[in-house]
Amino acid sequence: MSVCVCVYVRVRMVSPAIALAFVPLLLTVLIRYRFHLVLLWRAVVLRCFYDWSSGLTREERAFEYVLTHATPGEPNSILDAFDAWCHSKEFISHIGPKKGVCILDRLVLETSPLCVLELGTHCGYSSVRIARVLPVGARLITVEMDERNANIAEKVIRLAGYDDDTVELRVGVSEEVIPRLREEMGVDRVDLVFMDHWKRCYLPDLQLLEASGLLGRGSVVLADNVLFPGAPHFLRYTRACGLYTLRIHRATLEYSPGIQDGMAQLEYIGVNVDT
Amino acid sequence: MDNNHSVFIYEQCRFFSDAEFEDEDSNYYRDTDREAKRRRPKEKKTRERKEREKKRSAKNGESNGKAGNNVRGQPEEEQRGRKGRRRRGKEEEKAPVDGGDEEVDREVQKRRKTRGNRKATKHLKEEKEEENSNHKRQRPSKAEKDMKPSQRKTKKKEEDEPEKIDKGRKKRKVKVETSSESSDSSEEEESSEEEDGDDGEEGTEAVLGALTPEELEKLKEAVDERKKLIGTIRAKPWAMKKKLQTLRESQEFVEKYEGALGKGRGRKLYAYKVMMRKKWMKFQRDFENFKTACIPWEMKIKDIESHFGSSVASYFIFLRWMYGVNMILFGLTFGLVMVPEALMGRPYGSIPRKTVPRADEAGAMDFAVLWDFGGYAKYSVLFYGYYNNQRTIGWLKFRLPLSYFLVGVGIVAYSYMVVIRTMARNANEQGGGDETNYNFSWKLFTSWDYLIGNPETADNKFASITTSFKEAIVEEQESRKDDNIHLTRFLRVLANFLVLCCLAGSGYLIYFVVRRSQKFALDGLENYGWWERNEVNMVMSLLGMFCPMLFDVISSLENYHPRIALQWQLGRIFALFLGNLYTFIIALMDEINLKRKEEETVKFNMTAWQASLYNGTIGDNVTLSSITVDPADVPRGPCWETMVGQEFVRLIISDTMTTYVTLLIGDFLRALIVRFLNYCWCWDLEYGFPSYSEFDVSGNVLGLIFNQGMIWMGAFYAPCLPALNLLRLHVSMYLQCWAVMCCNVPQERVFKASGSNNFYMAMLLVILFLSTLPAIYTIVSIPPSFDCGPFSGKSRMFDVIQETLETDFPAWFGKVFSYASNPGLVLPFILLMVLAIYYLNSTSKSYKQANLDLKKKLQTQNEENKKKNKTAALKAANDLEEARNAVSLLQQQQSNNNASKQDDRRLDSSQQNRQQADNRPNYRETRHTAHPAKSHCGHSDPRRHIDRSPTPRRPGMSGYLPGLPHHPASKVPRHPHIHLQE
Repeated sequence: MSVCVCVYVRVRMVSPAIALAFVPLLLTVLIRYRFHLVLLWRAVVLRCFYDWSSGLTREERAFEYVLTHATPGEPNSILDAFDAWCHSKEFISHIGPKKGVCILDRLVLETSPLCVLELGTHCGYSSVRIARVLPVGARLITVEMDERNANIAEKVIRLAGYDDDTVELRVGVSEEVIPRLREEMGVDRVDLVFMDHWKRCYLPDLQLLEASGLLGRGSVVLADNVLFPGAPHFLRYTRACGLYTLRIHRATLEYSPGIQDGMAQLEYIGVNVDT
Repeated sequence: MDNNHSVFIYEQCRFFSDAEFEDEDSNYYRDTDREAKRRRPKEKKTRERKEREKKRSAKNGESNGKAGNNVRGQPEEEQRGRKGRRRRGKEEEKAPVDGGDEEVDREVQKRRKTRGNRKATKHLKEEKEEENSNHKRQRPSKAEKDMKPSQRKTKKKEEDEPEKIDKGRKKRKVKVETSSESSDSSEEEESSEEEDGDDGEEGTEAVLGALTPEELEKLKEAVDERKKLIGTIRAKPWAMKKKLQTLRESQEFVEKYEGALGKGRGRKLYAYKVMMRKKWMKFQRDFENFKTACIPWEMKIKDIESHFGSSVASYFIFLRWMYGVNMILFGLTFGLVMVPEALMGRPYGSIPRKTVPRADEAGAMDFAVLWDFGGYAKYSVLFYGYYNNQRTIGWLKFRLPLSYFLVGVGIVAYSYMVVIRTMARNANEQGGGDETNYNFSWKLFTSWDYLIGNPETADNKFASITTSFKEAIVEEQESRKDDNIHLTRFLRVLANFLVLCCLAGSGYLIYFVVRRSQKFALDGLENYGWWERNEVNMVMSLLGMFCPMLFDVISSLENYHPRIALQWQLGRIFALFLGNLYTFIIALMDEINLKRKEEETVKFNMTAWQASLYNGTIGDNVTLSSITVDPADVPRGPCWETMVGQEFVRLIISDTMTTYVTLLIGDFLRALIVRFLNYCWCWDLEYGFPSYSEFDVSGNVLGLIFNQGMIWMGAFYAPCLPALNLLRLHVSMYLQCWAVMCCNVPQERVFKASGSNNFYMAMLLVILFLSTLPAIYTIVSIPPSFDCGPFSGKSRMFDVIQETLETDFPAWFGKVFSYASNPGLVLPFILLMVLAIYYLNSTSKSYKQANLDLKKKLQTQNEENKKKNKTAALKAANDLEEARNAVSLLQQQQSNNNASKQDDRRLDSSQQNRQQADNRPNYRETRHTAHPAKSHCGHSDPRRHIDRSPTPRRPGMSGYLPGLPHHPASKVPRHPHIHLQE
């Protein structure tokens, strides 16, 4: 109502009745996009406020919480602490408990990969989640671009009790790390790639992986948040190129029940030689 | 002779075309062939003999009902001759045919000896051909038909050596027949090949002209074989490649020679006939297409239906229907009111009501004024006020006021009629049909249209089938869902409460706006801007646009099935629009009252003005015509009728504009942004936040319905309204079709809209009723303005009827009418009608009940049958299992016993098999039921069991489709068949 009055005051020529007629529209937008508005509030406004008031980044605050609330050496308790923080305090866009359990864990258990590449470590939540269910002797290489985040992720991973052989954190842009994987890390083939970094980088990174020959027949690429915020180019490419069988798991955005999101699961089938 | 011959050939062609389309039985051909062969020697006989023969055969043909052609086709002199000899011919016919045949055969012998001389002259050849065809024309005589092959053989045995070739041929033919009976086509093919070879021999033997009968026979046989091959090619155990190749070859062959069969010179004619037939069929198909194309927008709607489902299509079908109705309304108003007035009425400027007043003349042509339907638009045939109250106009003595009134009533009456009729028809359609049973099976097995030849159409069909599957699945899911009932109830109540609040708010807002506008009107509209003047329309349009969105959001609380949700949504928007409309009407009523007060003062001033005109001679009976005043200067009343018409026209225009603007901004612009900004946006616009819009069925339908309601209300005061509406509907048809296909996405939950059509109709009926109420009220209770419109000067508008009755009908008619309108007569009549309606209603209900009962009965019967079949099948399976066990046991024993006699093993085991079968008839039955395709292999000859491998089928083996004859090519040795026949 106050908005309408404001409109009336500013734009003299529009009568209040006409302005009032827009109230249903306003209500509609508010109701329909309430989850998005809540997300905006939590992910942007609250974050800015806390950044300003505490002087720490969001990830550092999350790590503080985890340190005080989780048992070291127990990955499950660390994950729970993260979830609790994200539910009650602020929003961090890592793969949440629902998608993590239903899709990521199940996929890792099914494929039991020997070499996993994770792009976008953020705070190490998903690294811990993957490392938890990895088979014996498998290794996880995780790539993070941001230095500060990488520091925190390193701490989180070590806190969960994984040594350097199991989970290896690389700091750098994924575009630079991927071509050097073969020489520096001695990786011949990646069985599972988990993408959760910048949505715009999904496509170039996938093409880079193809070009470097790290993907073999049966390798699985799992990409988070392909519908919201969304990676349309990535999806279009994977549908069109014919190298993959594409499956989209529909889910909701982490820690926010009303927003539709999806994970894309690609299985590399390679070029068909027969045809 | 030549001429006659050609006529004859024509007849022959006719016969063949008939025979080909009526009777494709190959045996028939063979018989005629045989007969012809036997009669071949006749070319050497004298002419008289030949003619006699011919006549006899003609008689035979007549007895078989085929002689009509023949007789007609005979050369005239022959016919004349025949008339004389007819009796003799009949006598001859009485003689046993066998004897005749023998006679012929003897002749054959004679001729065979001198076969070398068969290079006959051309003349002879022609004759022979003629005769041959003559024989062919008749069906085999009864005696011959009855004759068994064995008899034939014995008969043939008496014949001499040269006949042996023929005999062998015949024998082979018998063989072919038997093999074809057993439907073993591979065998048949072999024999036919043999035959071909034989034919070839004979062909070399015979003298080959282009038209020798032998060749014709051969050709015919070959064509026949090919035809049969084409028919059975599916069942052949060949590779697909071979099948295709053979099929193509034989089709080519048939096409090439079918026309030539026995045709000689008539070939062209035959080809022409075939061509014409094909053309005719093509024409029929094209005509069907044309008929479909003639249904307006049918293709567009089908296109939309295939992509967006039936609910969206139902809107467009409704729109089309509405267009049709409006076409009639437009025809009525345009043809009976507007055109007569424009053509025959007084021209513009002749009287005050047809002239723009002096004060408005300056801006009467401005676009803004015209857009508001003021100025020249106001003083034209478009509005009520322009019409004169002259009783008859023009040389036709067209009674315009009467016509105006009757058209106004007729529009409403027609609308009622058409809406109710459509409703009744829809209700009929709903009653029948079993929609719940085997839904998916029906869809799965019967939905593809095999006549589709266009890839695009096929895509559409594919899309539509997928959509219909989605609909069916959603339906099924909905029917099986059960949730927390209390929570849903609470949420539904809450949602309704919210909607009611919203409705009340919007009603109050409109009331507020109307009051304000009245204040503006009292102050004089000239002091206010465009916004203030159009406030009511704007607010109504905006509320009509935004409130449904809010309702939509609220209705997501309720968790209804989409179709029910759509109905709720429709109901709510209906309430909203109705509230808006009635608020608007109430405001209009207020305005009418204001205008009528104004009218009183104008009336008073008028007399004063007239008085001033005559220099104070008040009360004098001087006619006005003596003093000429420019009609533009004459003071006039406010004419509330024109005002009402104008209001409605403005409302319609603003409504249309809002619709189109919403379409362009809300759909098109949004789609553009989503599509092209998606390339450079940080999240996925297409799947994510704005996305493409869905087509809003409920809002659009209600918009249409209320629009129509306004037309019904306003058409009496603004005859141009149906025309405007027609234009609007036409444009919106194209625009919305385009918008749907280009910027909307199908709803996520596609659902079937089978029931919603009648729902639309019901709403339309309600709106029709509600919109005729105010119109009738104004017509009946408010006196017309004194100086404008066709009813000026009367106390009520319907007085025009009375006037017509008094002046244009004889006196007795008026009397009868007054008696008829007596309440004492009308009330019983109404009572009777009510009773009739009640009776019809109850009978229809009982019929429906009976229908349901019958359906139920059918269903139970089906179920019972199913049960029975199931038990039978189970029993049979058990028996089969037992039998198998027994057989395998026996076989084991046998293999132990007969290990040495490997050669006979198969036969023995099969005999065992047969014994088994004889001992247990049930076993055999089960075999047959299990593999119906095989059942016809064995019944004619029990020894056929040989050709099956002796081991019984294991359960793991793949089965065959029933109906397709199966040929186990790899396992069945072919020689037993041949053995059998030799």
